[in-house]
Amino acid sequence: MKLNGIKTDVNMKKADQARIPFSSNNIRLSAHEWIAAAIVCSALLYLGPVLWGHLEKFDPGVDYRLPYELGNDYWLYGRYCRWACSKYDTLVVGDSVVWGHYVSSDNTLSHYLNQNAGKECFANLGVDGFHPAALGGLLRYYGRNISGKNVIIQFNPLWMISAKHDLQTEKEHHFNHPKLVPQFFPEIPCYKDSFSKRFSAAVERYMPFFSWTSHLRIVYFENMALPNWTLEYPYQNPMSAVTLNIPAPNDDLQENVSWAEKGIAQEDFQWIEPAQSLQWRFFRQTVDLLRARKNTVFVVVGPFNEHMLKPDGYKIYQKMKSEIEAWLRQNNVAYCIPSVLPSELYRDASHPLGRGYAMLAKQLFENESFKSTILNEGD
Amino acid sequence: MLFHTWPFALFFLIVYPVYLVLKGNRFRLPWLLAASYFFYACFNPLYLILIGYSTLVDYTVVTRMAKSPRRKMWLSVSIINNIGLLGFFKYAGFVTENLNALLSSLNISYAIPEPGFLLPIGISFYVFQSMSYTIDYYRGNIDREKSIIAYAAFVSLFPRLVAGPIERARNLLPQLHKTPKVSLQNVADGLSLFIVGLFKKVALADYLALYVDNIYAAPEQYKSAALILATFLFCWQIYFDFSGYTDMARGIARMMGFNLMLNFNNPYLATGLSDFWARWHISLSSWFKDYVYIPLGGNRKGTFNTYRNMFLTMVISGLWHGAAWTFVIWGAVHALGRFVTRELERTPFYKEKVPKLVKQLFVFAFVTFAWIFFRAESIGDAWLIITRIFNSGWANPNCPVWALILIFGVWIYQFVFESKRRWIFDLAPVRIGLIVAMILYLVLFAPSSEQGFIYLQF
Repeated sequence: MKLNGIKTDVNMKKADQARIPFSSNNIRLSAHEWIAAAIVCSALLYLGPVLWGHLEKFDPGVDYRLPYELGNDYWLYGRYCRWACSKYDTLVVGDSVVWGHYVSSDNTLSHYLNQNAGKECFANLGVDGFHPAALGGLLRYYGRNISGKNVIIQFNPLWMISAKHDLQTEKEHHFNHPKLVPQFFPEIPCYKDSFSKRFSAAVERYMPFFSWTSHLRIVYFENMALPNWTLEYPYQNPMSAVTLNIPAPNDDLQENVSWAEKGIAQEDFQWIEPAQSLQWRFFRQTVDLLRARKNTVFVVVGPFNEHMLKPDGYKIYQKMKSEIEAWLRQNNVAYCIPSVLPSELYRDASHPLGRGYAMLAKQLFENESFKSTILNEGD
Repeated sequence: MLFHTWPFALFFLIVYPVYLVLKGNRFRLPWLLAASYFFYACFNPLYLILIGYSTLVDYTVVTRMAKSPRRKMWLSVSIINNIGLLGFFKYAGFVTENLNALLSSLNISYAIPEPGFLLPIGISFYVFQSMSYTIDYYRGNIDREKSIIAYAAFVSLFPRLVAGPIERARNLLPQLHKTPKVSLQNVADGLSLFIVGLFKKVALADYLALYVDNIYAAPEQYKSAALILATFLFCWQIYFDFSGYTDMARGIARMMGFNLMLNFNNPYLATGLSDFWARWHISLSSWFKDYVYIPLGGNRKGTFNTYRNMFLTMVISGLWHGAAWTFVIWGAVHALGRFVTRELERTPFYKEKVPKLVKQLFVFAFVTFAWIFFRAESIGDAWLIITRIFNSGWANPNCPVWALILIFGVWIYQFVFESKRRWIFDLAPVRIGLIVAMILYLVLFAPSSEQGFIYLQF
């Protein structure tokens, strides 16, 4: 049999090894060369994200919030966290309610908190599309810099309105940010991704390089892997897409129409009790994590749109709220359960409109616990 | 549990250290066998019955052959059993489908029920490997394997179990008996092979598949340029996919101290069709040469018989790849190519005047054309693609230039590697640079891939 071009003697010591050609190429390293390759790779994998942070322009201004389309960019979130921790005393974290889904960036909770404070001291670290399970993962793995700060964390009871929202259905249900939830334990019943995907997700959290590659993909390649991107733009040079400019946030999602005007009817939610709720469990773990990192934590529960609840559901919600409050009190967590806002200031079950946020901020500034914990007044 | 997935990484991280601890004692082979059976059972636990049965029959046959004067009868038992297994699991659907078509054409309303079982992964590979053992023993080329554990490990060795290389007993069995020497160089070699294979599979084959699959799924929607480029890309996709798998298999085996045979040797640099088959899926083509072509008479009985034997071997080889007429035609087209290039190579003009590069490009073009039959869903689709290539006119093919750059990069590497300038690749910085580039490309750009290997379906 012909074996054209095969080199059989490179680094071969034994005759029996030389009998079988190594390969049809010469990409063969010795142990020492592998060590050199490993050092070069490790250095590049470590330095890539670090150097990129210096090359890529990122200048969040007043009322900055992560653009909606970059919600999956956990590396950028980590970078924003570092920036916010260096500039602000208090970080406001939470889901789309904190982020301000239906309002412009100058109508969010953090904006009105700053307005009440008369200075820039509250940063909007909310992310649209998050839920407590994912938020916990985000803060645990990408928000490591949040330490020794004041943290206002909002709990949205919306995540307990049904087994589906609470991730408890036995049937597979695709939810946002599966990479951030616990991959193996505790088990999330509706999460059915393959072992490979879960393991990849678990590895990615500890290797900034992988989240950085996701950042490149999300920011420059329309959230596609390079091969898929080249199919969309077959004749374009991929390097030309890397502009080193992070897209600025836009306010495309804002709507100033109340839930009633939108024609949303009252609903009878199938509430999950706090003792059984996975989302509430993940939220509690996040509070514990933030406190373990020496942060001063202040919890805001709601403000849920109680006007949307039918009478029976309303009673259950009140009971649930008092159970949540009991846990916060028992665990010495500073908190505020703001009174419900006027009906016309809600866009849906949980999102206030601009004036609603202004009212919520005012309520917080009048709250004694908030004053003593976050504003350091009294005591 | 494919080589490029996390479950395999975990499997190997458990199996390998234990193997290193046991490699010097009598538990090495049982451990290897248990790991191989576990690996196979991860695809489907029922497959174990099949591989266990196949192993037991061939082991028993050779044991009987050793003690019986009726050696030919025992060989027949082995061949009938192995071909029967393949026929039952691989070709029953094909035969039924064709018989039903025949019955229908004769206006007979009866239809034979189609078998509902799936083709067990890797059956074509380990059945052929097992069969080669009985034939080689019958021919007196090898000694009888006395240990059933060693024989079972030979048939099921997990790096090569599901897609080859189809090893010969005379190469692998002695290695299984020796205490394997796992040196640092073995590990370094294994890693080198594995990374190259992983790159071929994940960064190249899976990438090219994105374009090829789109076009071959609906060829009627595309015009000439797109169909030509899709076929060109498939030509490289299947090479990267299968040779990538083999590289990884050889790399894993090398880390364990085993030397598996070379299965691909830059086939797209072949100067003739015979040369191509000496470079493509070498373990299979040499199997067919040794156990089909030569027993049929090889080239010993005149030109007509030589070509008849060549034709039969290629058609059977085509059918080995899949139970469909497209594979039969693919084999026949290759047989035709072998006739033509064999005759051409006998003429002084072709031999001496035609530049090597022209021969290589001619063979490459021919092989690429033949892949249309291999890849198309049906003969109708293959014909449609061929006719549309010639008469559908021009439209922008939207083929990613990046894919073409990668392909030509590899092709140029291969040309240089087989030229006088191959010393360039002997330089350590070049070799290290290529490995680093491949690793970085994999982690930076390659999509997370759980796509199966094309050859697993055979």
